[in-house]
Amino acid sequence: RVGMWCAGEPLARAGSSCGQCPRTGAPHSQWAPRGPGSAPRRQAWPGLQQARGVARPNPFTRGQEQEWRRRNRTVLTYIAAAAVGMVGMSYAAVPLYRLYCQATGLGGSAVAGHDSDQIETMEPVKDRIIKVTFNADVHASLHWNFRPQQTEIYVVPGETALAFYKAKNSTDKPVIGISTYNVVPFEAGQYFNKIQCFCFEEQRLNPKEEVDMPVFFFIDPEFAEDPRMANVDLITLSYTFFEAKEGHKLPLPGYQ
Amino acid sequence: MSTAMNFGSKSFTPRPPDKGAFPLDHFGECKGFKETFMKCLRENSFENALCRQESKEYLECRMERQLMAKEPLEKLGFKDLIDEKSEAKHKKL
Repeated sequence: RVGMWCAGEPLARAGSSCGQCPRTGAPHSQWAPRGPGSAPRRQAWPGLQQARGVARPNPFTRGQEQEWRRRNRTVLTYIAAAAVGMVGMSYAAVPLYRLYCQATGLGGSAVAGHDSDQIETMEPVKDRIIKVTFNADVHASLHWNFRPQQTEIYVVPGETALAFYKAKNSTDKPVIGISTYNVVPFEAGQYFNKIQCFCFEEQRLNPKEEVDMPVFFFIDPEFAEDPRMANVDLITLSYTFFEAKEGHKLPLPGYQ
Repeated sequence: MSTAMNFGSKSFTPRPPDKGAFPLDHFGECKGFKETFMKCLRENSFENALCRQESKEYLECRMERQLMAKEPLEKLGFKDLIDEKSEAKHKKL
């Protein structure tokens, strides 16, 4: 029952300012007096009620509340640390995974690089002859005559080989071209190593100029030991030239 | 090409060449060696193993004329040709 009570009787005027009951001297209470025979109100959580932001004169509850606060803070710190750790791990996962792939060779494309020492020491596998055919393409907007100078070449794994393409600029203006290559079958492409070629760099041809473009390559001797390559006798190397436009940045594969 | 959309098989990723790109031979300085090499290939039905001497000479021409970084020929896989040459020299002496 809402209202102000004084000594068991409701105050006539709401919002009495004095706050003290003249008869009993007790402060005005908001609660209606309990009728006779009702059990005294039991407080379920004595300490908690007092800890709910109300005045805490009890030194024991203060200590308990501090204990709770400290524990809360520790738990929060652990959770925050775990969250930061998760975020950090997700960032670190990228280079770590790359290292793992390089170390174990899984994922195919992250094969460890070959160096010149391998070229020096590799032995040609003379019983495995592979035919390498050459293909040349230009993009429609590039007016060059681009073609291979040999249709095919027979190599063995472990032996370095030289092949030539020829390109002629048939226009009257200097043109800058840039090329990329492709090897089929795809799985054999990982064994196809180019020592030096003319791809991925801008090549400038003056008007009506014709140049020879060499490709110096070899097939990794491990090709002969790969069971998946046992039936592969033909590898096709295909180059495609595009026109390099000013300010146009091509996504070259880790070259520059 | 490398836009094969099947996630199972590996697609081809082009790799940059080990030693970079050949500078263009604008003045045709090594054209003669190239012609010799191509003639050798045509005569030997395009077998690379028989024309390695000519390819070595072409690369040496390029190196002399600053069209290729100078490198010992063993590093380019011509160790066997060099050994043959030095053996022939020793035999003569």
